[in-house]
Amino acid sequence: MSLDPRALALQEEQPPRPAAPGKKWVKSVRVQNGIDTEVWEEVDADAGSSGPSWGARADLRLLNHDLRRIDGPDKVTGRAVFTHDVRLAGMAFAQVLRCPHPWAKIVRIDLEAAKKVPGVLGAVVLEGEEVKWLGRPIVAVAADTPEHAEDGVRALVVEYDVQRFAITPEQSQAPDAPKIAGNRDNVRVHETEGELGAVEQALGECDAVVEGTWRIPVQHHACLETHGVVVDYRGGDSATVYASTQGTFTINSDAARKLDLKGARVTAVVEHMGGGFGAKFGMGLEGDAACKLSKELGRPVHMLFDRASEFLAAGNRAGGVHVLKAGAKKSGELHAFMAQVERHGGVGPGSNQKQPYIYRPATSYTQVKSVLTNTDSSRAMRAPGHPQMSFAMEGLMDDLAYAIGMDPLEFRVRNVPPDRRTTYERQLRLCAELIGWNKHPHRTAPDRSEGELKVGIGFALATWGGGGGPECKVEVRLLPDGSVEVYSGTQDLGTGTRTYVAAIVAEELGLELAQVTPHIGRSTYGAANASGGSTTTASLAPAVKHAAWNARKQLFEHVSTLIGVKPESLRCVGGRIQDVNDPDSNWIGFKEACAAVGGKGISAQGEWQRNLAGSGVGGAQAAKVRVDTLTGEIEVLHMVGVQDCGLVMNRMATRSQLNGGMIQALSYGLFEERVVDPDLGLVLNANLEDYKIAGCKEIGLVQAVLDDGDDNRGVIGMAEPAVVPGQSAIANAIMNACGARLREMPLTSDKLLMALRGAKRG
Amino acid sequence: MKAFELIQPASLDAALEALPGARDTKARDRVKLLAGGQDLLGELKEHLIEPQTLVNLKSIPGLDAIEHRDDGSLRLGALVTLARIEEDRTLRERFALLAEAAGAVASVQIRNAGTLGGNLCQRPRCWYYRHEQAVCIKKGGSECFAYGGLNKYNAILGGGPSYIVHPSDVAPALVALEAQAVIRGKRGERQIPLEQFFTLPSEGSVLRENVLTSEEILTHVIVPAQSGAPWRSTYLKFRERGSYDFALSAVALRLSMDGDKVRAARLVLGGVAPIPWRCEKAEKALVGREIDAQTAEFVGKLALEGAEPLEHNAYKILLTQGLITKALRKLAS
Repeated sequence: MSLDPRALALQEEQPPRPAAPGKKWVKSVRVQNGIDTEVWEEVDADAGSSGPSWGARADLRLLNHDLRRIDGPDKVTGRAVFTHDVRLAGMAFAQVLRCPHPWAKIVRIDLEAAKKVPGVLGAVVLEGEEVKWLGRPIVAVAADTPEHAEDGVRALVVEYDVQRFAITPEQSQAPDAPKIAGNRDNVRVHETEGELGAVEQALGECDAVVEGTWRIPVQHHACLETHGVVVDYRGGDSATVYASTQGTFTINSDAARKLDLKGARVTAVVEHMGGGFGAKFGMGLEGDAACKLSKELGRPVHMLFDRASEFLAAGNRAGGVHVLKAGAKKSGELHAFMAQVERHGGVGPGSNQKQPYIYRPATSYTQVKSVLTNTDSSRAMRAPGHPQMSFAMEGLMDDLAYAIGMDPLEFRVRNVPPDRRTTYERQLRLCAELIGWNKHPHRTAPDRSEGELKVGIGFALATWGGGGGPECKVEVRLLPDGSVEVYSGTQDLGTGTRTYVAAIVAEELGLELAQVTPHIGRSTYGAANASGGSTTTASLAPAVKHAAWNARKQLFEHVSTLIGVKPESLRCVGGRIQDVNDPDSNWIGFKEACAAVGGKGISAQGEWQRNLAGSGVGGAQAAKVRVDTLTGEIEVLHMVGVQDCGLVMNRMATRSQLNGGMIQALSYGLFEERVVDPDLGLVLNANLEDYKIAGCKEIGLVQAVLDDGDDNRGVIGMAEPAVVPGQSAIANAIMNACGARLREMPLTSDKLLMALRGAKRG
Repeated sequence: MKAFELIQPASLDAALEALPGARDTKARDRVKLLAGGQDLLGELKEHLIEPQTLVNLKSIPGLDAIEHRDDGSLRLGALVTLARIEEDRTLRERFALLAEAAGAVASVQIRNAGTLGGNLCQRPRCWYYRHEQAVCIKKGGSECFAYGGLNKYNAILGGGPSYIVHPSDVAPALVALEAQAVIRGKRGERQIPLEQFFTLPSEGSVLRENVLTSEEILTHVIVPAQSGAPWRSTYLKFRERGSYDFALSAVALRLSMDGDKVRAARLVLGGVAPIPWRCEKAEKALVGREIDAQTAEFVGKLALEGAEPLEHNAYKILLTQGLITKALRKLAS
């Protein structure tokens, strides 16, 4: 469940003070920047006893079933309006000039030539002093068409005093490297844990010791819809901001500040958005510029990134170097472990990466450093830090297992945290069965025999929190004509939020999915948390359930007085309201009941309910690859992912989430890498030709299995865990197939060929 | 992209009229020919070129014809799309190598729009060349940044002073098929072996990849009839990403067999040199031999003779030898 045994330990053993009357203390896992943190929380003592519950899983009619997305037809036909598609009367299109140097002082900016370009309406300076990362926006230009905006940007005159830069971690660590953050060193030690001496001694007690250096490139979120906003402020005291964001409510207050308006007078709209993966919170520098331009011009301003900008200035997954050394005993005990971890997060500290990941050595020592470079800061990206940690740690685990002649699956089972062993073992064994491990001839040593086409299998594990919190307010309205409307300001990242919001209400009210209309993505609706750390569903679904439950209670009170049956004896089923005690009863139709309420209708509110949410999931994945030793081709034939997930809202959408995570991990493992020329200070592949992403031909059979075997937990977020282990399982499968351990991603044919040649020579 | 004037000529002569004279070297980049636009539009959008005028060849009737002539030869207009080459039934029967290579280009969408002429005349994909800020030797600068830089995708053969690789798939196949290029200029028409159409950076201008002058248009490609004993052929393209990608290395191989022995061979490599790389020594060495592991190894070595890998592309030697082995084995069986 956690990266580090201590993170899981309660920060305080005892609650901070005695519980207030009617309250009690409970332990709760919170994910902060991708790190599980367990905290004490004071809650209502009787929560869950008389409130809503999901009920028995077997009784669910819509939830925990396959549901088609209700906005699917809109998306595939193009009717769905994304921020890119927003077109308003008099709208201007904006583009920005980005700093073409990794580090430069700005000597002079001249806007005049740009302002004279036909169609250009205005230009604002965003940075006039100094720029310390390649691609930082300097000037924004608005024009009547996107083409004229681009012409305007190209006509800008900016004089730079280019500074000596450090765009790669190697340059940053050179003795004479320029200091990127004032007097601070480019390299900073963040934490050191464990005793080196103890680990060195323990290594001496091991039957086998292995070591290696794992190199992890910078990955991009590469959202299908690029970042951006449309700011519509035409004077007056209110404005609307359309945003491609993971947090409706991360937009309106920021925009209000920039527009000098009251927060409540700015409405953020996120009708549909095309992917975020952790990179889309807040408006960013470009959004600020759009506000300035809209205010200055009195027109709506469309400010969406072009594709190159998405690679230069929209965030990334931090790269890293993990130097690991570890020893095991023949019994299979991971006995000693040491790690030097380097995080590469551009001008930022890089996301959480430490070691050991998941597995528990008897003794361990870890030092974590960050290395600054003159590139944009990394941002959260789907399971921040976990895929990096997994790639190194899982590779080491296989190397160790083979070194003691043990099946890597059994070695894993032996060394996972004891409290998660049952789950992980069940998942690993199911993976093994589905991928054909039990019949695989090379289970305790890689196949180093001669041969052209060779098949191998590898495994890896994942962990994530995915819990929720009291962040959302939801309203359910029942109208006299029987319409059911749900309102929440939450955003749908493309994962199916809209669908389960409707499904929860339909389930509670005994209706069909199509009878409930969800309204989301607008800051005038109830508050909702930003979608980070897989916390959306576990925060939102309980509040939706609570609102629906309240609506039903109110409706029953009305019906009860009408027909003289106690409210607690009523239930909703099949569009009817019936007596619980008499299944053949047919007291009143749902529509008639709503009509009977009268013109005022019902408006019910909902808030988060602790008993409806859960947290803490594991997952196991296996990959089967075929390598061609003549060409170095690596073909992923089959991936299996088994994931425990609490109560599933929509099984089809959840399998899609897992499929997507496994595919993203495959792509990370085999292709993705930001390529930077250290001398020119340029990113060479800021496009979708050279920044390669897996296409349909690279994706073999992907099998996502929802593991229901665990418990009866509530709703848990599922976005992150599936993206964690895929690349590690693939690297392990390559090793298993041919004995070549690739410790640098992406795992490409050139590296495999050279490794195989090296092995032949060696 | 920068705004430009679009000329839509109704005939080849009208198109030629719009082109600057051959001696007007500065005018070369002022006027550009537009066919399928799959490469040109990218160059315009990236501001690698900023022509004042585009001459749209698609408005000229007849340049998109596939002609199967009575003598068994094939005459292809430069505007024939790659998708049609891939799908034409007679072409597939008679010139499978070409159909196979056309089918290996990029993606379905690009093959539907991209043309034969455009594919042969496309500019390099080197990421330094394609980056507006990197003013490399191909763009009038003084240095090939790939030479001492990140050169995983660059040339191992025929490089210097530029180390680009020719990105075309159909070019190696057509050279292996001994195709001819038909070129129209203001002063008439010429026909040359396609092999001589492409120029090494050390031979012609480093700014260009072929012999076309600014007043010329590649109008047709003629593939001669397959004479003598039946030929077998294959085009093996190795892509880092199978869904759509340029070749890391490609092998176009034609063999005419006499029983178990090779009677004649054509071997042309793609993705490893600034031009489609004909391996004449290897072709000659194949004649009279049976195809076995030993032959494959020997031929692979000869084909890569003289290869000078850069810091990050030594793998291309192994890869190409691996592809040659596979191609030989495929045709022998």
